[in-house]
Amino acid sequence: MSVLGAGSRRELEIRRYPLLLYALVPLASLVLQAWLPRVLGRYAWFDLPLVVTIYFALGRRSPIQGTVMGAIMGLLEDALTHHAIGINGVALTVVGFVAASLGVRVAVENHTIRLALIFLLSLFSSAIVIFTSRVLLGLDLDLHWFAELLRAIGNSLIAMVLFPLLDRLQIRE
Amino acid sequence: MESAFSRYRNLIVLFALLVAQILGLAMQVRRTGEGISTANPKDASGVRLIRLWAQLLVAPPERAIHSTKITAVELWQNYIDLRQVRRQNQNLQDTIDRLRLEQASLLEDARQGQRLQALLDFQHRYIYSTLAAQAIGSSGTDQSRVFYLDKGSNYGLKPDMAVITADGIVGKVREVFPRTAQVLAINDQTSGAGVILATTRIRGILTGNADGQLEIVGILADERIKPGEKVLTAGGDLVFPRGLPVGEVEKVVRDPDRDAFIDVILKPAAHLGSLDEVLVITSTEPHLSPVQQQDLATSEAVKGDEAEAIKDQLKASEIMAERLPGLINPNLPPDQQPLLDTSKPNPAAPPPQPLHPDRFTPGANPQTSPDGEDAPNSAAPVEPQSAKPQTAKPQTAKPERNP
Repeated sequence: MSVLGAGSRRELEIRRYPLLLYALVPLASLVLQAWLPRVLGRYAWFDLPLVVTIYFALGRRSPIQGTVMGAIMGLLEDALTHHAIGINGVALTVVGFVAASLGVRVAVENHTIRLALIFLLSLFSSAIVIFTSRVLLGLDLDLHWFAELLRAIGNSLIAMVLFPLLDRLQIRE
Repeated sequence: MESAFSRYRNLIVLFALLVAQILGLAMQVRRTGEGISTANPKDASGVRLIRLWAQLLVAPPERAIHSTKITAVELWQNYIDLRQVRRQNQNLQDTIDRLRLEQASLLEDARQGQRLQALLDFQHRYIYSTLAAQAIGSSGTDQSRVFYLDKGSNYGLKPDMAVITADGIVGKVREVFPRTAQVLAINDQTSGAGVILATTRIRGILTGNADGQLEIVGILADERIKPGEKVLTAGGDLVFPRGLPVGEVEKVVRDPDRDAFIDVILKPAAHLGSLDEVLVITSTEPHLSPVQQQDLATSEAVKGDEAEAIKDQLKASEIMAERLPGLINPNLPPDQQPLLDTSKPNPAAPPPQPLHPDRFTPGANPQTSPDGEDAPNSAAPVEPQSAKPQTAKPQTAKPERNP
């Protein structure tokens, strides 16, 4: 794992994308996340908004942008459920911040590191969801860790395909 | 100060966003009297607005994807189904004609049943009006088993309407937007419905568990509950009409929290994992279309004709009964009726007097006319002594041979 100084890495490797991509990719992830479980049923072990949030946070390497994007994606994800709005919002806000902070310090071009980050951040997101709903709010919400583990694996597999595709769409100077 | 802000601006932004969301969450959760935290069943206007925005953002692409899928599937199915469609159409038309009359007849029976139930103060409800809708999207997470319909308040949908399929119940409408509606599936952890086991008549509350299975909770341990028993809606929750199929018992497990209670795991009747078309029960009051009203009138007319025919038959049988001889002689006083004569253990009714006695009449004295025909008897009544075995004379029985 190559580690550089935060300032120099940020200067050298901030990724830029067409403006439309910032709107379309998150929207597509939300739509597919809402539609695919109807097709796949109980085998929908993934969280596309989380994957997209982590991708842009890692690529942009800006904690503020990662935080704001995570908050928006999480709130929209919550808005599609019947739960209180903010549970996923808190989780993705923290995940976006952490991913962007790691992106400054870690060589995220390496696919293995990306997959490991996606896997760990997915579990971290699940942990925050449980903490928020059970500890902060006191809600009686059951969550199966095995399902969360499968979801983390699914996110990693999707990232294997999605990240190289999105990498091709970045603006190269 | 400026340098401190720029130095910690990432953390400040993170902190601000987290605090704002946690405050928002705190306003959406309430604590019940038992000290249990629960989300507000009714969203505040701000929360509802966010949900509406999310729906406006997500629903159109979802609808487009769903329509594309439906169109592709329909095109293929139409190609496959073109064979013999005309004959099937004719058969179906005949069936529809027959069913329309039957439906009208059943509707009349249902209305009568309702009137009788109203008299008995029962609160059972009937399904009179449903709206077909497509499921176009879901929440995208297992923790919230909701899905979205492609119809909303523009089509008359309202919260707490029951959503069913032909197989069984599916859920209830939770939130309604102008063009979409959010449905809470029955296998969600926060859903609830009153159900009854069809055979053992045990009632319970249906809800979902973390695995998305249906389970009936709050039932005392009962050995009569066996796998395979059908479960129906009980009708007491003011959402689902009574008697709709819910599923069947898959297994019975002990309640982990309470020793004396059990949880009954169900296999749902409806395919909750792959819902496409559903029916929303929009009314439990009769709203008859002109065609249905006409069918109903036809049915009532048919039933009226049948009733008239039955009445005519009854009248004819009564007339016949009056004309037939009976054991009661209207000319005798009541105390002299033969039925009351205890001296004769088996009183026989006197033989009726013939209007035109012939040789076969008991006690008659047959005479043969010279031309071989029986002579007409006199109008005098036949005396009892003439009832000797005169008929034993064989020659009188064969007048043709002795001219």
